Amino acid sequence: MSITTLFENYSEFRHRHPDGDVPHNPYKWAMAIDLDACSGCNACAVACYAENNLPVVGREKFANGQVMHWMRIERYWDHDGSEFPERGARYLPMLCQQCEAAPCETVCPVGATNHTPDGLNSQIYNRCIGSRYCSSNCPYKVRYFNWWDYPSTDNVWPAEMNMQLNPDVTVRGKGVMEKCTFCIQRIRGAESDAKTQGRLVRDDGELQTACQQACPTSAISFGNLVDPESRVHKQWMAQQVELNKHEQAKDEEPGGSDLRGYRVYEWLAPYPSIMYLERVRETEI
Amino acid sequence: MMNSEFDRRDFLKVLGWGGTAVALTGCGNGMVESGKETVVSYVETKDYMIPSVSVYFNSTCAQCDAGCSITGRIREGRVLKLEGNPESAINRGKTCGLGQAGVQNHYNPDRVRAPLLRTGNTGEAITWEKAYALIDEKLKGVSGNEVAFLTGGMSGHTKVLMGNYMDSLGSKNHFVYEAIGPAVVRAANKKSYGVEMPRFNIGKARVVLSFGADFLGAWVSPVNFSQQYAQFRKGSGGHQRGVLIQVESKMTITGANADRWLAVRPGTEGILALGIINALGAHGVSIPGDIAAAVKTYDKDRVSNDTGVSAEQIDKIAAILKERTPSLVLAGSAAEGYAHGSQNAAAINLLNHVLGNVGKTIEAAAIVPFPQMAPLTGNTAALKALNDGLAAGKYKVLFSYGSNPVFTSPAAMKYKDNMAKADFKVVFAQYLDETALQADLVLPLDSALEDWGTQVPEYMAGNAQINIRQPLMEKLHADTRGMGDILLTLIKQRRAAEYKPFDDYYGYLRAAVLQNKAALGGANQPDNDIFWNETLSKGIIKFEGAKHASLSVKSGAAGLTLPAPSAADAEYPLQLIPHVNANLRDGRNTNQPWLQESPDPLTTIVWDSWIEIHPKKAAELGIVEGDIVEVTSKSGSLKVQAYIFPGIHPDAVSIPLGRGHEAMGRYAKGYGVNPFQILDMIYDKETGELALHETRVKISRTGNRVIVVKDEGPVGGNQEGQKIVPEMLTNKVNLSKEI
Repeated sequence: MSITTLFENYSEFRHRHPDGDVPHNPYKWAMAIDLDACSGCNACAVACYAENNLPVVGREKFANGQVMHWMRIERYWDHDGSEFPERGARYLPMLCQQCEAAPCETVCPVGATNHTPDGLNSQIYNRCIGSRYCSSNCPYKVRYFNWWDYPSTDNVWPAEMNMQLNPDVTVRGKGVMEKCTFCIQRIRGAESDAKTQGRLVRDDGELQTACQQACPTSAISFGNLVDPESRVHKQWMAQQVELNKHEQAKDEEPGGSDLRGYRVYEWLAPYPSIMYLERVRETEI
Repeated sequence: MMNSEFDRRDFLKVLGWGGTAVALTGCGNGMVESGKETVVSYVETKDYMIPSVSVYFNSTCAQCDAGCSITGRIREGRVLKLEGNPESAINRGKTCGLGQAGVQNHYNPDRVRAPLLRTGNTGEAITWEKAYALIDEKLKGVSGNEVAFLTGGMSGHTKVLMGNYMDSLGSKNHFVYEAIGPAVVRAANKKSYGVEMPRFNIGKARVVLSFGADFLGAWVSPVNFSQQYAQFRKGSGGHQRGVLIQVESKMTITGANADRWLAVRPGTEGILALGIINALGAHGVSIPGDIAAAVKTYDKDRVSNDTGVSAEQIDKIAAILKERTPSLVLAGSAAEGYAHGSQNAAAINLLNHVLGNVGKTIEAAAIVPFPQMAPLTGNTAALKALNDGLAAGKYKVLFSYGSNPVFTSPAAMKYKDNMAKADFKVVFAQYLDETALQADLVLPLDSALEDWGTQVPEYMAGNAQINIRQPLMEKLHADTRGMGDILLTLIKQRRAAEYKPFDDYYGYLRAAVLQNKAALGGANQPDNDIFWNETLSKGIIKFEGAKHASLSVKSGAAGLTLPAPSAADAEYPLQLIPHVNANLRDGRNTNQPWLQESPDPLTTIVWDSWIEIHPKKAAELGIVEGDIVEVTSKSGSLKVQAYIFPGIHPDAVSIPLGRGHEAMGRYAKGYGVNPFQILDMIYDKETGELALHETRVKISRTGNRVIVVKDEGPVGGNQEGQKIVPEMLTNKVNLSKEI
């Protein structure tokens, strides 16, 4: 195999999951985020701090780019030369996209980040040696490194504040990488409860991520993509977005499609598990 | 939430806290091995307490006054997380970021832990017995007229007790103060619709035209409005997606979500409203005679000239309002913040009459059938009255609860100095904030997650409801007290016989609820204990089929006049807009670090204040991002970093409220500046409310420059041609058909 062949067919070589012989069964966790409903209010991000024991780093460390928000709201302006942004701001909640062919996974020297059978991009804290290659290679910049030992840093979790820490989630120490887990503690809890009862996780609010649960406009839906009854599955189907393709029906008719579903940086072919729905603006005003 | 096969556990998942104590372990994040922490096992646990299994209790969020119902997740006796209670018509299971941070108010390391008595410049910890005795002693020989009680907005049983305490003192001086409440809009609504706070059916409207009402951010009941907004965007009743037009001089988060955001010249919101009515007339909408007369001279050319909104845009707004009904027009804080705020709001409300929205998208809210529990809403006129009285030396004893006027009043008001004129000042506080530092006696309060109470929300979204507040865990500190308990003890000092049956506020509350069992939905439940526990477990008392207030359809155009736009001021050329941030509000929540680190939705700045300047104005003044500028009004000045911001009128600048604390705690003190301090004392002519947007300033560079700490990338929110957040137009897509 020449290097040319490798580059020409890179996505084929890279795309390992899901292969036809290893389908997602019974779960593939995925999201759909409606940007026309999202108001950019940040409730999801604060809920994530509450659920996942994220440290508050303070002004100085924030200035140094050491903030640990697993979920952030990106805000964009239309740079069209007009005096005012009369079409408002563009908001996008950005979190780990749980890519099927995750660029972070291939570069980890110790295999600390890898794929789970239910389609999550997982991070094993006690295997991570802090090389930070994964973060360099992440196109979405959603991986966060512990530059400090936050549990022992002043005013991160001082007495009493530490009592709020979620016992289901590890408190991370210095030198490891972390990121959005799709609230894996909630997923594992629900999966295990369902298994005990001999059924699958239901799509009725039994399992919600913290951000989805808080979202005041219900812009976020989360569920099992391989369950034909799940809302997420129906949304992906309706928008004709397919998990293991990097060119979708929408792209075939640029400018002419009435489909809103897309994935950020789809053309890089990381096969993200989060579909966004385009925001909409009124023609008549 | 987890489920399991045990029905018993489902039954126990949400249950009432019978007022009894629960063991509390001190398991932190320390290591057992290193001896930093000890694990204390339960010698005798509650039946429902299974280690590692969470239980859930319902209560009511106290981070703002909207009254969202919450469900707290409790494990091993500690409350870990708050989520919305789906049974509430107000928040339907949702919460905002502010609500999520309620746990940080509870576990805050800077809470006051014991009653503090001033000796010189320090506070000496004393016992509650001594504190109560001291209050009793100080009230001896003082007449009711010489006692003043300042509170924030109140409702429910604490409000009833508060009224009874004032009665027992023979005092009528209860001042209810809200620094940023919609007081002018309430008064204007009362005139326009017959009620102060109607129900706004955003979800049923096809067009929402909002004059600075930040209903997705900090206005009235944002979590409710956010859900309605989602419904509005999807389109209801087979209609297309709703259209949002936001008119304001400084972009709010609601403006950032608008289909058309219009930068109006500060203070001319009312003129634009009348101009739109005029244009509606020109489009063939029938306008009642008195209104037509009032808007006759507001032709679109004049209005465009006055407001800076193009004549073409006014026509488009009129056309879309005519074509798509029902619509909804909202008057918000940006419109009411001027000396002519009442007129602005009245002119805006007229639009709803003209468009026939009253009775459709503006409806009368349901009323809780216990008028004595109805909310007492606050305003700034109350603080002015109190301040005048203090300045005149009228009050010997001052109580202060639920507000921080030393921080939230303009420095020119000299509230701090006037407060010192009272002989004995008692402040009930969770933190040593700016007002508490001026007290002679500070009494530490329970957090909202440790306290009992009832609340009647001002904005009633669905059926009438009373919200229950119950402790989600054992008290963190032995020497804090709930406000209800304190009031009860104080009343007993004066009316011992009457209140003898009640050992504590819990007992009072339980007795009060059981006394009205039939009216509260317990007619078919003979067992008081079961009814009480069910009530606590639900966290909400609902009144199906409760009466609604009635709307009046008087338009009230008679006598409506609006001043011409203010003339250019050479000395103070810029209008200062103090912005209400959805998380920090009037500054009471600033010591919660999640909120300090939660980026502002418009600028993405954290942990600091800034002044927003339009790029055109900044270029004119030679200011770039990070320049420290001096902002000077007639009443004072401050220094703050500049942020170049496109969403603001070039004649205006904006500084967010809530930061700039000199006290309160480690996460609040020393971060940013407090624009309340430099506000001019200008009042709305009709209501006497402080006109928050009426201060004019000049700005100058100081020569210093800093790097602005913010979340947006170095390219400042530019997608650089990449398809990160693309956009579609409504002629391409039909959302009502989507899943």
